[in-house]
Amino acid sequence: MKDEQIIKLENIETIYEGERIPVIKNINLEVNKGEFISIIGPNGAGKTTLLETINGILSYTAGRGLVFDKEIKKNKHFIRKKTGYLIQNFEIETLSPFLCKDVVMMGRTGKKGLLRFTNKKDWEKVWYSMSLVGMIDYAKRPAGKLSGGEFQKILLARILAQEPRLLLLDEPLSNLDYSKRQQIEILLNRLHEKEKITILMVSHDLSFIPEKCKRVIVIDKGKIIMDDKKEKILNSKNLKNIFKSGRVL
Amino acid sequence: MIEIPFALIITSIIGAVLAGFTCSIMGTFVVRMNLASIGYCMSHAAFAGAAFGLMLSIDPMIGALLFSFATAIILGPIAEKAKLQSNIVIGFLFSFMIAIAFIFLNYVPGQAANAKALRILWGSVLSVGYNDILLLCLLAFVIVIFVIIFYKELVSVMFHRKLAEASGVNTKIFYFAILFLTGIEVAFSLRIVGGLLVFALIINPTSTAYQFFYDFKKILFVSPLIGIISCLLGFYLSWELDFPIGASIVIVSSLVFAFSIIISPKRRVNKK
Repeated sequence: MKDEQIIKLENIETIYEGERIPVIKNINLEVNKGEFISIIGPNGAGKTTLLETINGILSYTAGRGLVFDKEIKKNKHFIRKKTGYLIQNFEIETLSPFLCKDVVMMGRTGKKGLLRFTNKKDWEKVWYSMSLVGMIDYAKRPAGKLSGGEFQKILLARILAQEPRLLLLDEPLSNLDYSKRQQIEILLNRLHEKEKITILMVSHDLSFIPEKCKRVIVIDKGKIIMDDKKEKILNSKNLKNIFKSGRVL
Repeated sequence: MIEIPFALIITSIIGAVLAGFTCSIMGTFVVRMNLASIGYCMSHAAFAGAAFGLMLSIDPMIGALLFSFATAIILGPIAEKAKLQSNIVIGFLFSFMIAIAFIFLNYVPGQAANAKALRILWGSVLSVGYNDILLLCLLAFVIVIFVIIFYKELVSVMFHRKLAEASGVNTKIFYFAILFLTGIEVAFSLRIVGGLLVFALIINPTSTAYQFFYDFKKILFVSPLIGIISCLLGFYLSWELDFPIGASIVIVSSLVFAFSIIISPKRRVNKK
């Protein structure tokens, strides 16, 4: 039986408004349900642009893109409601007036839709997501008072509360120390195994590829230059050359 | 001291309390979005509108309301289209409104007319009519219903617009709605409390509430309470010391804010 396809991109090209040069071009990508994929590449390679093209935050200028079998351009809000997106280097102000539980509840806002109030079931989902990331004791703590790693877990709980079918994680392990990185990595592995969520995780560091990730995509200068099993990519000479030239940091 | 009829005092108090209530609720969003300058932008739009009205020999208040409405409607879309922070667009509209106000006033003969337009900027609590009260009541009702129905979307947008957008919330609509309602609220309150007081009532109560809470919901509840209390204390101060009412309310709300900074638990250091 053919696996359910989650993402299908055909010759996708994305150009930022007011610019001429595409940030990503000729992107062809197929992602099946339950895959855990790492996207690696140097800074400025187009990794974030690719993620934001997939969830429709950026509109592609050429090609055809489908997520959950629906055209991205016409179904942005539908796709986003089922996609958890963790943005890169999210910094929160220390005096931010939001409690952790409320930040997690925000994940359900889009899914619930307009004119519907949050109820007991939504809160149950919030508590479940918080306990999944080990942050249930922080529910009533101000979000701005958490450390980088703790806040990253709250953001993960936020997208889990959304009950996503697809996770787009932009550098979830950057700016974290070794132990925090390990905690998040264990969490991602557990999520993939337990919840069977399809995960696309962007990273600029090869050492950040989680254990459960089986497929690696290498992007450079806006193009997919390698797409294969993790072991093959990690042993590839080509990748080593990119590393040697310092293009992948 | 001039004797003021009791009914007029009551109407003025109700007007100021309603203005304090609506300004402080919208202030919760305005302060979070760093749009403090929207108060003086809208008051100068009203000033330009009043000057326009005088130039055409129509009621300056109608002109003031028209210009305020128009500014409130275009503010969000211009900021979005220009890809600039709303504060920059507010600055642009502010200077533009002053410029056209002076051009309009140039065509209005006599100093008395200029003073009429300027009165829109300063307002007068004692000139509140029943119609003003009704309008403010209606606006307060609309704002409260808007906040209750769309609370989860508003909080999400207030936390982080891009994250809200990424989770499927159509943030543009709520962003525009906040700017629009704030603009309308400033326009309605101007005649009663004037530009200076509108500005103070938007900023001070919310900034005070921010000193005490990390919970947006609590800030949203407490800000209007502080706004109302500031108005009532301001009235009392004015009554006792014969100060101008608007200035008294501004002074009270500013003192409350200053005091809140001193006693804020957010800055307390727990020593063992």
